[in-house]
Amino acid sequence: MMDPLLLIGAITVGGVLIGGGVHFIPVGGAPAAIATATGVGTGTAMLAAGGGMTGLITAAALTGQPLWLILAGGAVGSSIMLGITMLVGNLVYVWGVGCVPASAKIEYDPITKYEQSKFVTPGTEGHGIPTVCFVSGIIGGALGGIGGGLIYWGLYQQLSVLPGYQASISAVSGVSIGAATVAAIFAVGIFFVNAVIASYNIGGTIEGFHDPKFKRLPRGALACIVASFATGLIAILLLNGGVF
Amino acid sequence: MSDEGISHTRILALGVVGGLIGIYLTPYNPILGPLLASLGAVCAIVWGADAIRSLASYGLGTGVPSIGYMSLAIGIIGVVAGLAAGVYIGMPILGPIIGFILAMILGGIVAFLGRRVIGMKIPILLSGTVQLAGASALSVLGFSAALAGNYTMAPILASVISTGFIALLFIMNTMAIQHPFNACLGPNEDQVRTLKLAATTAFMSMAIIGVIGVGFTKAWWIIAIIGAIGWFISMRAFLDAALDSAASVKWSGLWPKEDEQ
Repeated sequence: MMDPLLLIGAITVGGVLIGGGVHFIPVGGAPAAIATATGVGTGTAMLAAGGGMTGLITAAALTGQPLWLILAGGAVGSSIMLGITMLVGNLVYVWGVGCVPASAKIEYDPITKYEQSKFVTPGTEGHGIPTVCFVSGIIGGALGGIGGGLIYWGLYQQLSVLPGYQASISAVSGVSIGAATVAAIFAVGIFFVNAVIASYNIGGTIEGFHDPKFKRLPRGALACIVASFATGLIAILLLNGGVF
Repeated sequence: MSDEGISHTRILALGVVGGLIGIYLTPYNPILGPLLASLGAVCAIVWGADAIRSLASYGLGTGVPSIGYMSLAIGIIGVVAGLAAGVYIGMPILGPIIGFILAMILGGIVAFLGRRVIGMKIPILLSGTVQLAGASALSVLGFSAALAGNYTMAPILASVISTGFIALLFIMNTMAIQHPFNACLGPNEDQVRTLKLAATTAFMSMAIIGVIGVGFTKAWWIIAIIGAIGWFISMRAFLDAALDSAASVKWSGLWPKEDEQ
């Protein structure tokens, strides 16, 4: 009876990694969309959709490989997606809007040591994505991708051996399409639940690990642990109902 | 936000009863069954749009779409697990009900965490999230049953999940449920007008389900046609309502007094 516990564990740990990862991502929301706050100008759900789904696709592309490769695939996919989003966002802020990437939450960028406050337009909370936010976003993407990959791996490993899902094993790749798609949509669901819980915790916007709101991380992680654990318990039904 | 024109209880009843009846009648007729299932999903989407309207009018701090995505995620987790549970206990007929209940339980857990652990100050967070999760689950089940022709695990796995349409349902139903309030919120928001837009997005989704169901169900053309007719009628009703509400502003050139919320 070890297998169900392993699945609950994978989903719980994966959920916490996703929820924690969201705290690192510079989510700017509507103020950032008009360049009056630091971060990417959209909400957490959109960034989670972009980063999370890319991570799951890259993780799922490695189905059948060892666990570390799947996790690395998820981390790299999510990080690249968020990195491109932040880079192109910065291009628009710098050459389109015409403002300097700067944070109003800190005096000096902890990575480049550049002074920030001089470049913040009065009346705004910074603009663009300064280096520290970019690095933080890459870390957040990697954590989220690892979490999503872990959940996908846990579900696929256990579903693909069930009789109900063996019928759809592809002759070419040896991958059970049914198990892969059920695992993927379940992982996407868990991704969104944890991303939005984390988003509630940060009140919609955050700059990254240097933001004072980052101190709320333990509270968000606790909420994600409980929610993911409950989801893991529900996922056990999938294993028991796999004979049809 | 103005007062309710239609009571929430009636919309809740429409969503739950309409949704479940539509889903459970699916296997009895190859043409009418899928049509009723997709109409059931339309009822569920209208219910969800009303629930998100009550909930998001408190100001979530994260925007309306985020809770829409979350509730659809919860709904899909509940539905897939519920259908599997129906297989597990040997009574597939109970699958949709179990999925509906599981989604509402998970929604309740998330809302409880939001209140107690994260400390969100929204009084109706629990009832709103539970309703939204239930509506999302029924909307996914309804469209899935329409595509698969049945509400049990094996046909839904074969024609909705393995084909990837479940991801389409995820995003499309999120949009159908969250867009009405997200588009209408603000001064002079009116429940009836928002629900007219909800009917528009719901029927539009139904028409899309009809079109993508071309290879899966014999009823695809009737779902697409009824969906398109409903879309046209509700869009006209919504446009009329929007122009009516805008008339006083347009004629006088002044914003209405009750703007400040």
